[in-house]
Amino acid sequence: MMSDDLKEHSPATEKPSSGDGFAVPVWIFCVALLLLFLGGVYFDEYSGWFNAQVYAPYTDANELESYQPVSGAAAILAQGKHTYDTICTACHGPDGSGKPGQAPPLAGSEWVNAAGHQRLVEIPQLGLNGQVTVEGQSWNLSMAAMGAGLSDSDLAAVLTYVRSSWGNKGDAISSDDVKTIRGSIAGHPAIAGDAGLKAIKE
Amino acid sequence: MNRNEKIDPAIGDTCRVPLLALFGGAALWLVVGLAIELAASLTFHNPSMFADHSWLAYGRLQAAANDAVLYGFCIPAALGVILWVFARLSESELVLPLVPVLAANIWHLGVLVGLVAIFIGDTTGFQWLEFPRGASVLLFSAYMLIAISAMATFGARRERKLQPAHWFLLAALVWFPWIYTTANIFLVAWPVRGVAQAVIDWWFTNNLIFVWFALVGLGLAFYFLPKFAGRPLHNPDLALFGFVTFILFSTWCGIPQGAPVPAWLPAASTFASVLMLIPIFSLLTVFARTVTGPSLTGTKPQCKGGPFCYIKFGTTAFILATLMLLPLGCPHFGSWAGITWYVQAQSSLQILGFFTIVICGAIYELMPSVMGMEWPFPKFVRFQHWAFMAGAVLLVLMLAIGGLAQGMNDYNFQSALPFLRFSTLGLFLLLLGSLMFAANIFVMTIKWNLALAKGFIAIVRPPVKLQEVKS
Amino acid sequence: MTSSCRIFLVSFIALGLSWGGFVLAPMEQLGTQKQTDVLNSSQTYPLQRTGDATLGLQVYRRYGCAACHTTQLQQGGVSCDVVVTGMGKNPTAVSNLLSSLSLKNLDKDDAQSASDQITGAGGKTEIHIIPTGGDVARGWGARRSVSEDFLWDYPVQLGSLRMGPDLANVGGRLGSFSWQLLHLYAPQAAAKDSAMPPFRFMFLVQKIGATPSPDALQLPAGFGPPSGFEVVPSNAARNLAAYLLSLHADVPLHDAPFTMAAAAPAPTAQAKK
Repeated sequence: MMSDDLKEHSPATEKPSSGDGFAVPVWIFCVALLLLFLGGVYFDEYSGWFNAQVYAPYTDANELESYQPVSGAAAILAQGKHTYDTICTACHGPDGSGKPGQAPPLAGSEWVNAAGHQRLVEIPQLGLNGQVTVEGQSWNLSMAAMGAGLSDSDLAAVLTYVRSSWGNKGDAISSDDVKTIRGSIAGHPAIAGDAGLKAIKE
Repeated sequence: MNRNEKIDPAIGDTCRVPLLALFGGAALWLVVGLAIELAASLTFHNPSMFADHSWLAYGRLQAAANDAVLYGFCIPAALGVILWVFARLSESELVLPLVPVLAANIWHLGVLVGLVAIFIGDTTGFQWLEFPRGASVLLFSAYMLIAISAMATFGARRERKLQPAHWFLLAALVWFPWIYTTANIFLVAWPVRGVAQAVIDWWFTNNLIFVWFALVGLGLAFYFLPKFAGRPLHNPDLALFGFVTFILFSTWCGIPQGAPVPAWLPAASTFASVLMLIPIFSLLTVFARTVTGPSLTGTKPQCKGGPFCYIKFGTTAFILATLMLLPLGCPHFGSWAGITWYVQAQSSLQILGFFTIVICGAIYELMPSVMGMEWPFPKFVRFQHWAFMAGAVLLVLMLAIGGLAQGMNDYNFQSALPFLRFSTLGLFLLLLGSLMFAANIFVMTIKWNLALAKGFIAIVRPPVKLQEVKS
Repeated sequence: MTSSCRIFLVSFIALGLSWGGFVLAPMEQLGTQKQTDVLNSSQTYPLQRTGDATLGLQVYRRYGCAACHTTQLQQGGVSCDVVVTGMGKNPTAVSNLLSSLSLKNLDKDDAQSASDQITGAGGKTEIHIIPTGGDVARGWGARRSVSEDFLWDYPVQLGSLRMGPDLANVGGRLGSFSWQLLHLYAPQAAAKDSAMPPFRFMFLVQKIGATPSPDALQLPAGFGPPSGFEVVPSNAARNLAAYLLSLHADVPLHDAPFTMAAAAPAPTAQAKK
């Protein structure tokens, strides 16, 4: 029960006994400063200082750089697999076994496993039309220049992936090889069947 | 309860209709929201219960329940209480009393539109901001109308000195339009790209459910607690320090630790969570000393399940909810517990344990003097207090334990299930309490209307006298 | 000492600061983000979703799927494995060295020094970057989610609660269209202990006509419709399944680096058919 003389404004009129001034205990300010310091240390250590690329568990840009995977043989294969899964898999199948009516197999193909790589680099850049014999079977389909838009390193990676997967045994193809061949065939028409392929010098 | 307080009758006269309009709809939405939440909770008992009805999909029930309680009850009821507290502290009548009446109707219409939209799937897809733009426009205009009335009342105050309650409530009035327009502009009207949407949604949610609720709830506690306890607020300077540090730091909490955003965002939230210890401790000191100190009137104040109990429990729940929130700022705990039921437990404690109870207590305290009549079911006040307390504690404990159990168990749903099933009981108790609240409000409204009608009939009945007056 | 002007001023400053920090700055930093390169490749990421998957995101929003599922993977840390790719000209020296070195779960510096020792002995090595943490261990994804994963999404559906498993890489984990549809119609038929509510309202149960519909679900015994009827997915269900399959947060990016698992092991039996 409240007495009438305790008015609304009475709370603000109560002054602590310490007298004038801002009556907040000093130790609260000390604790506040301590927390500010601790929080600041945490932020300095873990925030990456507003860098848009730094996500936990990384704490700064240098650490992130040091964890970038180096492009070794495995990385090239992974890059090739990614490119293959994006572009080639629709016709040649995820396991390189080809699809009737769409594309001949890559797995075990004599063209893929050939000693040289000139033809293999040219096919995706120029396209291939007409009669082709693969593993003793004849295919009469047309392939567009699917690889013309790929970078040298992606094309090299995807061909290396094809040549080292599903039992295929071929050497790696470097992006320099691709670059050289790309320059030499600029403006050529699509390759015409077996005859066209055989005309290419390894 | 202090019926013997001397109040300017003009305050009651001008506040009566606006408050009834705001509280009546709010009470209805509280019942509706908790009933929907209960229905959603039944999905834990039988997952395929609603499998053939698209409008009862769990995601829709959950969103509708959250928004019905948040936008349907919490905000309009809080605005009503703020209007009254401003009039009361100004020692003057409510300015523009018809504007809040209009606004209350617009607001409740907006909530209805928003809930129907959620049930038919027209949601924005952002948590706590699910209402589509039509409903948001209604809510925003209603809010601005009420805020105008509140600010006009504040501007016309006879007692010029600002009270601690003023700081919090004025800040709250500024807060909502700012965060609500920001969220709606950048998320709904002209959406930003990518994950920045999520960041803005977290900012909005934190500022609404943590900061705005705390501003209103603490403002009301600062107003009511000294009156109930019969002694002035302990150390207003410390309260001011708590207020300023609270709004400076609390606005930076709320980015989840495991979020797919650059490290500086969660790190800033961690920093803020650490600093939050300062205002929380300051405010806790002020409350504890105010409530436990000796009463000026010499008698120890008793709460007996009345509004004092509501405010005390609500304030305690606020401190607990904040103490539940701060660990979510720890990088390790926050990243695994921050995507479990623990978070829902925290927001339930914030919304149902703290805010709803404080608002209900305030309404139970102020309505009798505004209406000039006692509550029709005085026992319900006490019963609702126990139902809400037990319900909130049960719900929050079960959700929190269930969430932590699930988080520690590879997020395996089965480990949370028994706790989630128990939480249905908590929701049932809360629903029971809200029904008592609604019964009190509605019966009081009906009684008041009947009395009004009787008075009106008394004027109209004797036609002879009226003719005499005219002639 | 407290006038209403000061209260407003303090409120504006406090809210304005956090508005600048958590609204304006993320809008500048994340809201202007563009596609990035996949690591060690010139592919860009993310690609636009297909039309039905884009519609599927809206189905995901409409039914509030984010109430129970997150699409944000977390990463506790990162470790390095040293992989020996060649023994070089002095295999005995390298294998002697290998028996004394630990090659798994190293931090960057230890991995580098182990690698240097092996290279010094004539072997060839690679250092593989392996993300660690609960989500990776559960097989939910290869790396943490980063902001690029959500570049084209509106609304971004991160979710805040894992009542069910995380879906950030569900297209990579459970990549079958028919499985997704079956799981939506009867979750317990697809995953035995699932607690997910069935979404039967997204499917039509219709009388089998002259020829059975090619889209009809293959339901296991006990979950099927009465005989003579078949269950056909609605467009909403197909779009949702397409969206789920498009959730593929599994390529290495500069801000979430890892070494992709090398090429799939050669299925020799298939190659020579």
